Amino acid sequence: MNDKITLAHGAGGKQTSELIGGLFKKYFDNPNLTADDAAVLTPPAGRMAMSTDGFIVSPAFFPGGNIGKLSICGTVNDLACMGAKPLYISCACVIEEGFPMDTLEEIVKSMAETAAKVGVQIVSGDTKVAGKGQVDGIFITTTGVGEIMPKAELSGAYARPGDAILVTGDVGRHGCTILLERDRYGMEAEVTSDCAPLWHPVRDLIQEIPEVHVIRDATRGGVGTVLYEIADESKVGIRLDAESVPVCDEVRGVTGMLGLEPLYLACEGRLVIFVPKEKAEDAVRILREASPDTTGAAIIGEVTDHMTGHVVMATELGTETLLPPPSGELLPRIC
Amino acid sequence: MALSKGAAEAAEIVRNYDGPKIRVMEVCGTHTHEIFRLGIRQMLPESIELISGPGCPVCVTPVGYIDEAVMLALEKGVKIFTFGDLIRVPGTKKSLADAHSEGAEVQIVYSPMDALDYAKAHPEEEVCFLSVGFETTTPGSVIALRNAISEKVENFSLLTANKIMEPAYLALKGSADAFLYPGHVSTMTGMEVYRKIAKEWQISGVVTGFTTSEIVTALATVVRRVEEVRAGERESFAENCYPSVVTEEGSPAARKLVDKYMEPCDTEWRGLGIIPGSGMKLRDEFSKYDARVRFQLPKVQGKASPACRCGEVLRGLIRPMDCKIYGNACTPEHPVGACMVSSEGACSAYYKYGDTLKLK
Repeated sequence: MNDKITLAHGAGGKQTSELIGGLFKKYFDNPNLTADDAAVLTPPAGRMAMSTDGFIVSPAFFPGGNIGKLSICGTVNDLACMGAKPLYISCACVIEEGFPMDTLEEIVKSMAETAAKVGVQIVSGDTKVAGKGQVDGIFITTTGVGEIMPKAELSGAYARPGDAILVTGDVGRHGCTILLERDRYGMEAEVTSDCAPLWHPVRDLIQEIPEVHVIRDATRGGVGTVLYEIADESKVGIRLDAESVPVCDEVRGVTGMLGLEPLYLACEGRLVIFVPKEKAEDAVRILREASPDTTGAAIIGEVTDHMTGHVVMATELGTETLLPPPSGELLPRIC
Repeated sequence: MALSKGAAEAAEIVRNYDGPKIRVMEVCGTHTHEIFRLGIRQMLPESIELISGPGCPVCVTPVGYIDEAVMLALEKGVKIFTFGDLIRVPGTKKSLADAHSEGAEVQIVYSPMDALDYAKAHPEEEVCFLSVGFETTTPGSVIALRNAISEKVENFSLLTANKIMEPAYLALKGSADAFLYPGHVSTMTGMEVYRKIAKEWQISGVVTGFTTSEIVTALATVVRRVEEVRAGERESFAENCYPSVVTEEGSPAARKLVDKYMEPCDTEWRGLGIIPGSGMKLRDEFSKYDARVRFQLPKVQGKASPACRCGEVLRGLIRPMDCKIYGNACTPEHPVGACMVSSEGACSAYYKYGDTLKLK
């Protein structure tokens, strides 16, 4: 194989076959991945969830992951948020002419490793090559289907007053990592992305606590955006205990200097979970035991019927203030 | 987190004040936002009124300045480097964000030095840094200029709209009983300027920082001192409630550096008009680094949207919600006036916090 991607790799001829056989098939290999035009699959017995997501992160490699790992985590986590065991994933890659073959191999390897960790099969794929400058390196789109656990009844509209709100770990690491990697600000800090697939902790949680009302992964807009989304969709108020939101020192330092709110920085391996208050402590325990990616789980607030649609915080003076609602800030491409 | 005993007492003084109305103007945009965010405005009695003044550099930058920057970017092919908030401020016809979508090169940076580094790495391009801001940010631009000169960087220029606060206090005299002076600007100016305007112009105020303790302590100080002024015990006051950071003399080194490269000039403030001696421009000997001279920009008279009342908001004459387009035609997503664009602007602060918390 060439050491760089050429337009011929996307032309459908011999080089395309070589690329698919020598790289994608080699790593993704499973009984459902065939040379046919579509994967032939047996549907699950119960309800199914399906989700699709595009990934254009720049830079494609960052501390804690790369666009390949991200593209599997993103779709796996979207399915997990509906209580669905990820079964099958398809992926479409748009690759820039001249992209190094060994870099592509590393990305594909990461996709395979992440999929294997979760137990999901990559069963279908597509590769296109775009001319130099038409895409920035590589864009990946993944689509996944999963089998919803019979016990799970989850929706962003199901939060109720009396629910406790949990986050599965410290917030803002992915967004902070990407900001620093882009080196616009001349700052350095030891931060790694939180990018991780979270199906197993979700499975363990719902297994023991089927009363979970909402699970949502905090991606681009961070945990703050999720809180406002749920407040709106469930028509409830949210009381956030700002001091209990886990933020690592590095993220706190960087966001302090740049005037950013950690709650609005992207995460790629953090879930926001709404569960009846009396189950909250158990939920934290289960999450902390379930996976190294959720050991930082913490309770960060509660659902109220006060100030519907808003996220309210108590201040040192005993007054109330708002978490400023999300607005379109100018941040680099992060996922 | 519990408040210290001193801060808790200060909070009680403020909360319980029920004398004749005291009007306090917070000059700094960061104060405006922190006062909302920390829940301080929420605890004020009706007898203390906080007015958000003109202390956000983005908010007071006139429309014509944006027009000049857009002209540099679109017509002169100059790559513009700027602090983030400025790119969404509407010009007469376009914002820098509009110019960017039409293909102009506009890049957000955190420091003027980033613009200089880019200029050094790309000698074939013309690079201009939008030098806005008060005493705090001006030295940064000047250091970039100094380095450009010493390193013989020929493709770097500044479009200046730097301002100094002292003439603005004089222009705003009478708008409030006391100012909350800006913490960061005061690190440069020191307390001297406040003592001077207190003595010569009977302008009163308190310097403060940005924590709950610092701000409530400053407000309690204002209450006590205004009571003394009203009782005829003193004519005016200038107090430092941020002594951990602000000194009497400020930073003579920074002032000297700025003075070497810049000199005062008359300048326009959005909403306040032209205030004599309130601007800083490059001295003539450095005019080749002045983007207006370098690219022979014509004199630009910008026109703000006639519906926008940012000017009156900045002078404390009306509250943001008294403006007809506030929250309707003018929102943070689609700002008409600069006070809604900047994260430090009064309209943006009221929009984010005030409406929901039903604050007046």
